[in-house]
Amino acid sequence: MKRIAAPALARLAAELARTHDVFVPLAAGDRLVLGRLDPAAPPAAIPWNPWRLSEPLKSIWFPPGRVLARWPRPAAPPAPPRPRALFGAKGCDLRAVSCLDRVLRDHEFRDPGWCAARESTLVVAGDCTGAADSCFCTMMGDLPHPRDLFDLCLSPLEGGFLVEAGTERGERLLAGHGDLLEEAPPGAAERRAEAREALAARVRKGNERFPVRDPFEKSVAKHEGTAIWGALAATCVECNACNIACPTCHCFLLHDLPAGEGAARLRLWDSCFHAGHARMAGGLTPRLQLTERFRNHYHHKFVSFPRNWGVTACTGCGRCVEACMGRIDKRECLHRLETRWIPSEVPAEVD
Amino acid sequence: MGNDFEPLPARVEEVVVETPTIRTFVLRPAAPVPFRAGQFLQLYVPGVGEAPFTPSSSPSEPERLEITVLRAGRVTAALHALRAGEEIGVRGPFGRGYPLARLEGREVVVVGGGVGLAPLRSLLHALFERPGFARRVSIKYGARAPGELCFRRQYADWAARPGVDFTATIDRPAEGWTGRVGLVTTLLDGMDVDPRTACALSCGPEVMLRFVARKLVDVGFPAESVFLSMNRNMSCGMGICGRCNVGSVFLCRDGPDLSYAEVRHVPYALG
Repeated sequence: MKRIAAPALARLAAELARTHDVFVPLAAGDRLVLGRLDPAAPPAAIPWNPWRLSEPLKSIWFPPGRVLARWPRPAAPPAPPRPRALFGAKGCDLRAVSCLDRVLRDHEFRDPGWCAARESTLVVAGDCTGAADSCFCTMMGDLPHPRDLFDLCLSPLEGGFLVEAGTERGERLLAGHGDLLEEAPPGAAERRAEAREALAARVRKGNERFPVRDPFEKSVAKHEGTAIWGALAATCVECNACNIACPTCHCFLLHDLPAGEGAARLRLWDSCFHAGHARMAGGLTPRLQLTERFRNHYHHKFVSFPRNWGVTACTGCGRCVEACMGRIDKRECLHRLETRWIPSEVPAEVD
Repeated sequence: MGNDFEPLPARVEEVVVETPTIRTFVLRPAAPVPFRAGQFLQLYVPGVGEAPFTPSSSPSEPERLEITVLRAGRVTAALHALRAGEEIGVRGPFGRGYPLARLEGREVVVVGGGVGLAPLRSLLHALFERPGFARRVSIKYGARAPGELCFRRQYADWAARPGVDFTATIDRPAEGWTGRVGLVTTLLDGMDVDPRTACALSCGPEVMLRFVARKLVDVGFPAESVFLSMNRNMSCGMGICGRCNVGSVFLCRDGPDLSYAEVRHVPYALG
């Protein structure tokens, strides 16, 4: 296995920036988000995010607004996107990518924008080296380090990074930059495994207060039509922040509008918490009540998505927990759904 | 790679006024659009938006589509403003379509309400083009008033076919109407079909579907033999945009016709 020192990693990013749009973690207030590396002034070190960024990766590959089609049809196909390189992806981010691949790529309909963006993006992922209070990947059966879907994976070790290639593209990149690499010290792989296990244990311990035993599909499905959803949604203000922050949420609205001599079709992020999300012509609205929409959100993530696509559409990244101004914690909801806890009043700690 | 979100141009060849609020658009798409009866298309009015419709014409004519549209909202109002010669777009087909193979050799009861007869007409064409395929076709059709009955010029032709009967009803008595009066469910009492082996397909407003399904089960139809054209906001057509689900089923991909057995226990499925 190879090791790359921090300054050499920054050089690698700067070299990539000549031919790629390079996205790296950047501070925005007290949070880290994805920002474009300025090729004219590359940083001396790539900022390291100990856990997932505040922003989900879908904002890069499945942007909030995108032109999907034009009318009349343009004669020439759209130009391929400029290649991208993405630093800062974590295990939960890549789990989310695998969810969206199932929806947007791996069946009879293929989303051209998603497929092109996925193919043209080099993913430099990294192990988590810490956990937010909201992190619960282990509850979802995952681990706080990338396991697949990366081109390169970085594991911090003694002032540098162990670097592992996950694809041929990653192998080629390493082979082309042998001058930036050195042999990993003896025992590095074992120390990486120990660090990974120690962090996984920490995340598990941090979530012991939300004991769950049953499969989530069972806990959620057994409450179809029960009153518990009203209790869980008591402090929901329908702001949609959980949907926007969620790395797997992908509901969208096709918005058509005149453009120049013709027309354009945009895809905009949408939210299943909007009262009008499922409204039909003539005004009939399925899921008119918030409690029905709240249930639908959980049903989609934990029942319908596994039935349709084979995996749970929750990665345990905890962004929804962080984003919720009603302090609704998905872990707590899942725990309550399993134990059928129904409060007699709104919890006192919500002010 | 093709772009499934890009509509195919289609010329409006003719506009047929069916009722004051329902028109049939005869479309000539730039390339044939092969579809199965019950599959739907997205009609696109450039710059305005899309809405889903199941063609009312025969699947054996993919180069000439008839689409029957009730004016109900923004997109349908723009469609109703179209004149012959104008160009719109179509995407599709989407969905599974009617379970045609399951109708072979069976008595088939077709229950339509208002503009809901439109998708069923495509099924009727498919059945009429296969003489003897279904053992019998019994058409039950309801509308609020005589002026709201679609495809009036065709009833006599349908009823004259061997093994086919047609009965229409209107909700309230009206001057000059000598036919049946009452909700379409009243036509389902005392039918001379064997409900244990027959198959029923219904399309209409959600509240009508609910009562039609209950009535058919009451008179002995197994819930598995009652197919309902479910109403939801279907947009992308691929089961991914997230608004047309009934439980775990995305109607645009796995429907829009589902058996009553598939939906009767799903919360909120039928209102």
